[in-house]
Amino acid sequence: MVKIDEKIDEAIKEIFSSDRPWITIVWDDPVNLMSYVTYVLMELFGFTRDKAHELMMKVHTEGRAVVSFGSREEMEHDVARLHEYGLWATLQREDQNA
Amino acid sequence: MTQSSEEQQRGFRRHGDNALIAEFSQSESEVLVNLVEQIIELLGERKDNHSDDPLAVMVGITSHDSPPEDDVLLRLLPNAYADQVDASEFRRYTEATLRAKKTAHAMSMRIDLKSAADGYVEVDHDGANAWLGAMNDIRLALGVRLKVEENSHEDLELLAPDDPLRGVYAVYGWLGWLQESLIMALMDQAL
Repeated sequence: MVKIDEKIDEAIKEIFSSDRPWITIVWDDPVNLMSYVTYVLMELFGFTRDKAHELMMKVHTEGRAVVSFGSREEMEHDVARLHEYGLWATLQREDQNA
Repeated sequence: MTQSSEEQQRGFRRHGDNALIAEFSQSESEVLVNLVEQIIELLGERKDNHSDDPLAVMVGITSHDSPPEDDVLLRLLPNAYADQVDASEFRRYTEATLRAKKTAHAMSMRIDLKSAADGYVEVDHDGANAWLGAMNDIRLALGVRLKVEENSHEDLELLAPDDPLRGVYAVYGWLGWLQESLIMALMDQAL
């Protein structure tokens, strides 16, 4: 069996996961109903009611929550769908400061 | 975010396995039609009529790459990136599609109201989602005009009786309640 150096192994993983360091953030908004935010997250992402409620509460109490992660194209798609339903959403690199 | 206040009204409710219904008085229906038509008009104002490139029109690329100056339009068509260059690029390729989808939600709600017999509106799951999107866009628009913030509800409750914003706030509250009734009916039901 070939033994790969740990550092090389990490570098290879980095290469193959480099397309996934983007995140979609939903921001708190004084107009959107709490139930509406929960419902939209269930509809668009297929979250259970509990999971959607948990994310909604995070948005409500902390001002923001990451609702999805993946490639830049996937996150642009998610943000566009959230905008369609009036949620305030942005995308950015995972390691980027908000 | 906010929670809608409960009132002794009925709003949307389940009707059979695949439908939701609500009954509106003529004046309620007129208010909703008026509001939804204003959203359609507002989104239409942003429309780009001078693109000469039919391919660009076909794939939904507009020449808009700067955010709307109007606060309401900016809330309806927000930036997708904090970075202005990325935001402009994204807007150029996607804003026309977003406007079209929001307009479609509003048109769907308008048609349901216009074609309602005796004020009875009946929608399926997709129709309900269009209503939710359109009602939310109306509430976002009114919210911007009312300057709604996290703790501004107390101030808005105290508007003088002759303040024109008082009526706007009442409509805003009613829409929130109506939206909530539809969400509750949808969540109780596996459509």
